Amino acid sequence: MIEPVLPIPVPGVKLGLANILGLIALMLFGVKTMFAVNLSRVLIASLLRGILFGTGFWVSLSGVLISTTLVALLYKTNKFSLVGLSIAAAAFHNMGQIMMIIVIYSSIFMIYWMPPLIWLSIPTGLLTGSLALGALQRLRFQK
Amino acid sequence: MKKLNRYDQWLVVILIVGSTLLYGSLSWLINAANSGQRIAIVSYKDQEVLRIDMSINDTYVVQGTLGEVYIEVQDQKIRVERETSPYNLCSIQGWVSSSMVPITCLPNHILIVIVAPQEGDTDFEVK
Repeated sequence: MIEPVLPIPVPGVKLGLANILGLIALMLFGVKTMFAVNLSRVLIASLLRGILFGTGFWVSLSGVLISTTLVALLYKTNKFSLVGLSIAAAAFHNMGQIMMIIVIYSSIFMIYWMPPLIWLSIPTGLLTGSLALGALQRLRFQK
Repeated sequence: MKKLNRYDQWLVVILIVGSTLLYGSLSWLINAANSGQRIAIVSYKDQEVLRIDMSINDTYVVQGTLGEVYIEVQDQKIRVERETSPYNLCSIQGWVSSSMVPITCLPNHILIVIVAPQEGDTDFEVK
């Protein structure tokens, strides 16, 4: 909810800081908890912003469902690092959102936004992944 | 980049290459759709009400929900010249020449889309 206030040079683009919570949950507690955390945050944020079951809610939900599912599959392969998973989460989240927008507005034209959003998901995924890694290192140090 | 292992790097490469190929294909489709003779389809409440030949400079009037909508064509570009609506967003949108950019006048329920006229050669289905 704070993210839209942050100054980003590209209009409409968010850093995806909320993904950090899902990634930490994945690393500490596993896939099921990541699903629970990610779905809860979409529900709670939609309730707080008064957009539950509105267009924004369905767009967020599709992004979260697709990204969480695919990241869980990548995690199970044990091949990807936390930062790699974060980049994947950011990219798949954008893909899921665009797919839902295409369905809602019955406009295939919206697919034109997918490549720029995927390009932007790489630096934002790197950032959120690095932040999640830093948070995890501190959490483990405190244990 | 020390945090990225070999598989992460491959993922990044696949994302960049895949999205660039998609972007290139879409741009090629747009250029193909924008070349040659084109028409603009004007719909009111999802019903086609007018077909405009984009090669003829002229002004057209269609009836929208809140009043008359004036559409102008000039040099293969189209715009809503004026209309009655709360914010006049579709006339503010200005000239459009790409088939990927529809003009949507929501309060008047008017949609204008540029397409190629050949039958069976439609790049996109517009609903």
